[in-house]
Amino acid sequence: MIEIRLHGRGGQGAVTASRILATAAYEEGQYSQAIPMYGTERRGAPLTAFVRIDNQRVRERMLVHEPDISIVLDPLIAKQQGVVESLKAGGIVLLNTAMAPEEVKLGGDFKVATVDATTIALEVLGRPITNTAILGAFVKVTGALKLESIEKAIKKYFPGRLGDMNIAAVRRSYEEVKGPIQAVVKSGVQEKMDLNVGGYGVLKDVSSWRVFTPEVDVDKCISCKACWIFCPETAIQWDEAKKKPYIEYNKCKGCGVCANECPVKAIEMVRVEV
Amino acid sequence: MSERITRAQIPMEEMGITPGSACQGCGAALAARLAFKALGPNVIRHGVPCCPDTVTKTPQIGTVFEGGGALLTGTSRGLKAIGREDVLAVGFFGDGGTYDIGFQGLSAAAERNENILVITKDNEAYMNTGNQRSGATPKYATTSTNPVGPKSRGKEQPKKNIPFIFAAHYVPYVATASVAFPEDLIAKVNYAKTITGFRIIIIQSPCPVGWRFEPEKTIEIARAGVQAGIWPLFEIQNGHDFKLNYKPKELKPVTEYLKPQARFRHMTEAEIAEVQEDTTSKWQSLIQSDEMGKVLI
Ligand SMILES: Cc1ncc(C[n+]2csc(CCOP(=O)(O)OP(=O)(O)O)c2C)c(N)n1
Ligand code: SF4
Ligand code: SF4
Repeated sequence: MIEIRLHGRGGQGAVTASRILATAAYEEGQYSQAIPMYGTERRGAPLTAFVRIDNQRVRERMLVHEPDISIVLDPLIAKQQGVVESLKAGGIVLLNTAMAPEEVKLGGDFKVATVDATTIALEVLGRPITNTAILGAFVKVTGALKLESIEKAIKKYFPGRLGDMNIAAVRRSYEEVKGPIQAVVKSGVQEKMDLNVGGYGVLKDVSSWRVFTPEVDVDKCISCKACWIFCPETAIQWDEAKKKPYIEYNKCKGCGVCANECPVKAIEMVRVEV
Repeated sequence: MSERITRAQIPMEEMGITPGSACQGCGAALAARLAFKALGPNVIRHGVPCCPDTVTKTPQIGTVFEGGGALLTGTSRGLKAIGREDVLAVGFFGDGGTYDIGFQGLSAAAERNENILVITKDNEAYMNTGNQRSGATPKYATTSTNPVGPKSRGKEQPKKNIPFIFAAHYVPYVATASVAFPEDLIAKVNYAKTITGFRIIIIQSPCPVGWRFEPEKTIEIARAGVQAGIWPLFEIQNGHDFKLNYKPKELKPVTEYLKPQARFRHMTEAEIAEVQEDTTSKWQSLIQSDEMGKVLI
């Protein structure tokens, strides 16, 4: 049996990716399961999903606690040691990052493969939805499933042109993935990011939710206050003295509403460097 | 009726505590931010199950879906009993909590003319649990319980006309609002604070995930909805006095609202024409009511 854990953020399609994997395995005559981690997953918030694939009936119904493969759809999450937590010895972690596997700072007894799925998704799909883009890389580095079955499964979930675009993303990631190589560092840096934030309440810092960050050009700004009044998170503060907005970045989820509403385009959404 | 305000008159103080756990670009998070900004500190917030919008500094109490109207009634009467009528019992509910599951309790509270204010963040489906259709879902929208397929065109029934249903309880104040028109929204909350009895404001609050559009378009889509006449902004007092708050010389075509949302992507020309015709004819009757200053319910 192969057990897989997927890490992503709401909106990147980790749950859909888990279903595509399970469907592709089924297409190959195998038994499979896709399990989303139940919570109130929000677009932008970290979340996990799980897959099991076997050539006989899968009787387990619990979450995957010791995966053979960890797939990480988000470049910021890819820096967290948590993504390799309880990974089986000799397992594989597949990261969405522009880094080469040699540069990855995660440590332990496992193999590392990398692919810049965000760039592929932005270029092929026009949106930072990395779930399909990473699956081509998965096929190449694990050999667990065939490319054709992934493509067949994608067609089921995304009929028509959308399916073709997603398949193009899959093929590109199959070509561009680097690794797997044995993890370079022995023990990784422990970071404290919660990889499964669900539920309600006030959060401390949502900076990591952003793929794009708003930047205000105060010289262009005509002080209309549109960005201030329309920010759902109150991340835009109003400086009464200067009559200009400023952004509290710990509150900004990078939705882009402010940039879209600014009548003089004084706010630009800039891709986050990771 | 509400009195117009300008952007400069919007209070600077925030009642919301952020960042919250809502999705990127959540219309309901903004609806909560704006409504509670206008309400100020003297309120007790009541909630029923729904998406996490914006947490507020106000005291808060929650109950089951069906219990919103009853809980608000209890608080309001309790406040009266202890002589604290300066504090307002406010319900902030989803469309499921207003149009459907919470309806009978709210209808009863409306009929008794309880001294409460209900604010509905209408995102047109049960979003917290994954976009199931509600009475607020518009015709043709695809949802997880009305998915478009070979035999389905999305939701078959029209959106329930909940403002008119509440107006038909002859309550003091019913209003619609939109997150794209914050001055109008805040003016309506301001006005609602000055009167007593049952008041309800329904705020259309686009949901990027359920309506399927990129989160930066939340306001753009809400604005197009109002400008196309799909979500008209109006006030009804005592089930009689009527005022339309936004009257463009010409409505925008409904396509400007429908096209950017993937929940309507499957719609045919004929289906769009049907929505256009329906929207135009309803708009004409609202214009007539506005000219008479009254509505016949
Ligand atoms: C009686 C009952 N049925 C179902 C649920 C599960 N539930 C929790 S939140 C929710 C959706 C709420 O939808 P809505 O009122 O439209 O608010 P939104 O989530 O869209 O903000 C549901 C169905 C429940 N809590 N109680
Ligand atoms: S990107 Fe969204 S959350 Fe960030 S400041 Fe702009 S409107 Fe607010
Ligand atoms: S919307 Fe643009 S012009 Fe208006 S205050 Fe914000 S940055 Fe300035």
